Amino acid sequence: MSDDLLLSAQNLTRYYHGRKVLHGVDLELKRGEVLGFLGPNGAGKSTTMKLLSGNLGAHDGVVRICGHDMADAPLLAKRHIGYLPEVPPLYLEATVDEYLKFCARLRKLNARDCVCAIAKAKRECDLEDVGSRLIGNLSKGFKQRVGIAQALLHEPAVVILDEPTNGLDPNQIRAVREMIRGLSKQHAIILSSHILSEVQTLCSRVAILHHGRIVFNADLGAPSSAISLHLGVVVDPAVLEKIAGVESAVALEDGRYLLHVDNYDRAVEAVCRSAIEHNWALQEIRRDASILENVFVELTCNDAILES
Amino acid sequence: MIGVIAKREAIALFRTPLAWALLAMTQFVLAYQFLAQIEIYLQFEDKLRSMPDAPGITEVVVTPTIGTAAMLMLFVIPVLTMSSISGERRNGTLALLYSSPVKCADIIVGKFFGVCFLLSLVWAVVALMPLSLMWGAPLDLGTYACGTGALALLMMTYAAIGVMFSTLFTQPAVAAVMSFGLLGALWLIDWATRLGQDAGLFAYLSSLNHFQRLAGGLVNSADLSYFVALSIAALAVSTWRLNGDLKPL
Repeated sequence: MSDDLLLSAQNLTRYYHGRKVLHGVDLELKRGEVLGFLGPNGAGKSTTMKLLSGNLGAHDGVVRICGHDMADAPLLAKRHIGYLPEVPPLYLEATVDEYLKFCARLRKLNARDCVCAIAKAKRECDLEDVGSRLIGNLSKGFKQRVGIAQALLHEPAVVILDEPTNGLDPNQIRAVREMIRGLSKQHAIILSSHILSEVQTLCSRVAILHHGRIVFNADLGAPSSAISLHLGVVVDPAVLEKIAGVESAVALEDGRYLLHVDNYDRAVEAVCRSAIEHNWALQEIRRDASILENVFVELTCNDAILES
Repeated sequence: MIGVIAKREAIALFRTPLAWALLAMTQFVLAYQFLAQIEIYLQFEDKLRSMPDAPGITEVVVTPTIGTAAMLMLFVIPVLTMSSISGERRNGTLALLYSSPVKCADIIVGKFFGVCFLLSLVWAVVALMPLSLMWGAPLDLGTYACGTGALALLMMTYAAIGVMFSTLFTQPAVAAVMSFGLLGALWLIDWATRLGQDAGLFAYLSSLNHFQRLAGGLVNSADLSYFVALSIAALAVSTWRLNGDLKPL
């Protein structure tokens, strides 16, 4: 096993009350990777994350964290995990400092490391001013950040975050994204989210789960290879397809077109030139960022794909 | 690790008004009973003095107070322990324990010791009251030690059973009702024998029988092992239940 393979899950299967909710999920995660975990509600995302974090046992399959089998050596495997569940696991009657100290002790940090780790986590999650406040009195955003802080406290190799930006305001969302980006250099991160743009900007790879199966698992290489075009006149898509670099063109409503291109920069130039030549009254041309959305909708709305 | 969990549990219990209310209520009821027993003793003091083998102040005041304390614990301990695991389950904080490198047995024993710490304070105020009699009366320290020791054993066993039901049920109130039901049944189960029927097993299962023998000064290994075995069994079931989440096969 390669040193950089921090998490591997094979054939994860789980039943709930006799119903199979995970059908042999396979996942691998290397150091430096951020895996975006997508799927409609009820697809099994949280269940998978619980299995990966050792919160639930799999009926079949193996989870290995840094080479340690979660079923055979759970204590070794769990040392390398930081987990933020959907609902942050907070003791509302404790202060932030007390809570983080408890978490650090649970992760077997010694007294001196505890102090350093807590100070670092508080700095990273911007919690320095609320250390002595009761968690129950904090706003939702702060609670979420305390939850993230506890997951990062012991510098785990694998960080599993179930909807980490849930309940945060736009500034906090940006701060958390920055934090995740910073973490990705040293750690392997799995992140579930409903916000596709978030996954697109943060993650190096995306896995889409549908009905308990991984239906898509690929690198997000080139960010986008589609152009959204708005013209003042009606043009036959076939004409657009003849432009150099345009692979296909689809007419949408109100003079809008979606063009799939092989090279974005070259294609934009060619489309603009054609628009001026043919007097198409070009109103807008931009990169279409909805590729992931299209993939997601296509895979999760169309059950026929599963049957194939 | 057990210590870390026990400390947090004890602090958490003190952060809620529930623990304080229970402590205050227990203390109030027992102090009242204690004073009432002293009053009774003072009324019959002369008569008792003239009787051969008459019960002393320890038998008249201390033993009944400890008996009342034991009965009060039937109600108090299920309420104290009801959310020890089920509360964590409901609040989602069990995920923190599960994803940390901690054994399920450590979680359970930690929780148990946390509750025991609070109960030791309840026990201490009960145990300290009779000592105040030493200013003016000869206290039978042997009987006193047996009574308070039996109470400590009983409270420990109740705590273990309370923690067990808290792992078995998600709703704290249900856990409290179920532990109260079991503790009450064990307390009363011997009533059949008192009606004259032969019920050896019932007599053995009765926590009242074991408690009364120990509290009365008859220390024997059968009674001691009853409480210890019951506690260990309850904690083992709790650990088994927590492990069940992590190993579904």
